[in-house]
Amino acid sequence: MYGYVRPVKGEMKISEFERFRGVYCGLCHELSRRYGPLSRFLVNYDFTFLAMLLAGPDDTKTCPRRCAAHPIKATDCLMACASLETAADMTVILGWWKMADGAQDGHGPRAAGYKAACRALKGACDKAAARQPAFAAAVEENLRGLRKLESEHCPNLDQAADRFASILRSIGAGERTPERQRITGELLYHLGRIIYILDAVDDLAEDMRTGDYNPLRYRFALAEGRLTPEQERELRTGLQLSHNAISGAYALMESNPYAGILTNIIYLGLPAATQAVFAGTWNAGAKLKRERSSL
Amino acid sequence: MNDPYSVLGVSPSASDDEVKKAYRDLARKYHPDNYHDNPLADLASEKMKEINEAYDAITKSREQGGGGSSYGYGGGAYQSQSAGQRQYTGANAQYVRIRNLINANDLAQAEAMLNAIPDHNAEWFYLMGSVCWRRGWMDQAGQYFRTAATMEPGNVEYRNAVQYMNQGGQAYRPAAGMDMMGGDAACNMCQNLICADCCCEMCGGNLIPCIGCR
Repeated sequence: MYGYVRPVKGEMKISEFERFRGVYCGLCHELSRRYGPLSRFLVNYDFTFLAMLLAGPDDTKTCPRRCAAHPIKATDCLMACASLETAADMTVILGWWKMADGAQDGHGPRAAGYKAACRALKGACDKAAARQPAFAAAVEENLRGLRKLESEHCPNLDQAADRFASILRSIGAGERTPERQRITGELLYHLGRIIYILDAVDDLAEDMRTGDYNPLRYRFALAEGRLTPEQERELRTGLQLSHNAISGAYALMESNPYAGILTNIIYLGLPAATQAVFAGTWNAGAKLKRERSSL
Repeated sequence: MNDPYSVLGVSPSASDDEVKKAYRDLARKYHPDNYHDNPLADLASEKMKEINEAYDAITKSREQGGGGSSYGYGGGAYQSQSAGQRQYTGANAQYVRIRNLINANDLAQAEAMLNAIPDHNAEWFYLMGSVCWRRGWMDQAGQYFRTAATMEPGNVEYRNAVQYMNQGGQAYRPAAGMDMMGGDAACNMCQNLICADCCCEMCGGNLIPCIGCR
């Protein structure tokens, strides 16, 4: 979806990388199994992270599988389990709504593509929403709220980020104990903030060109698509504070079978993505290339 | 109570040094300074208590009547001071009530009371910043804190809040440099520690001896 939530591959053990790929491929297979082959295009790193974060101690069984992307050598894919199923449902719901958003305010052939994809996946989205009614309601309500803030040219960065972050926080409500609900909710809220703000930084120049809403434009009253070093520092401080909150929540989580990978993503992956976004090297071309080469 | 060895994640055959190291690593992780005005502070402090008790139990059982010297991070005394229960001497009774609401995490009520106050002095901006901070609205929090500090430059509380934010707060990391601030932040580790120590001392704690002198 956004792709900022990913590990730094060079710092992973090979066994960790294989397990990470197993969850990613497992999510892709699970999407296809539950929602048809077209839904596979919605597979992404952010929800791969979610599948690992929500994993219980037994959510680790794998089996070798082939697919169009790996036709010769089978990948050891994570088999269907509660966390993977939840992640697949949510991938479809949020993916569909993001595309609906794109169809509504996109331009030209891109919007037409989103429109067609939305139509094709409407059944899948309804099915997923019936399985995750609370999440679907949170997505709809908060994206509607975000749309309203966008139309008002909201200058309050936190308020806009809060809408997206609240979607992720709602996932915590599905956890087993009140304690875990708080911890997971807090972690995901701040992860949502970071994703939203990084996306705003990443898209700033493009949004200034097309005139689309970007919270930073109004937050800093920008005339052109560039931040001053002082504004950049302010944003990065805010991101650091959200990262601290993630750290604090993560430390309180119970032991997780993917702890090594999650630690890599939180402490190396997120800072690396932040660095790349602010350096301006996280553009669409690089994004695509990274995706092709990483798996 | 759980088995103290499993709380610290070491085997009963671990050496004293291994136990001590495991304890220190965990204490660094759950240290109250990492949960400054954090909505999960209560859970971290429970965890800290559990670790302190486990470490105490192990050292006591190993010394077997050797005086029962108490290690640990000073337990309750230190934590309660860092948990934001500071003494306020604000002249305005309404602000004292708002501070209590913020400490009790009743942010909606605190915000409603703040919004009902027509005159916005430095303390109003500071408290508005505190509400935002607790809510995770870091960008707004920074703006309010800075306004408060500009309106009343001599106020130590407001200045500390700005300074704490500017240095990116404080959090546990598995190793140095694993943060969002980019290049130079890693080099500021020591500086951060010293700043954090000053902050701590402001509220009665003392971070450096806390980590360094065991």
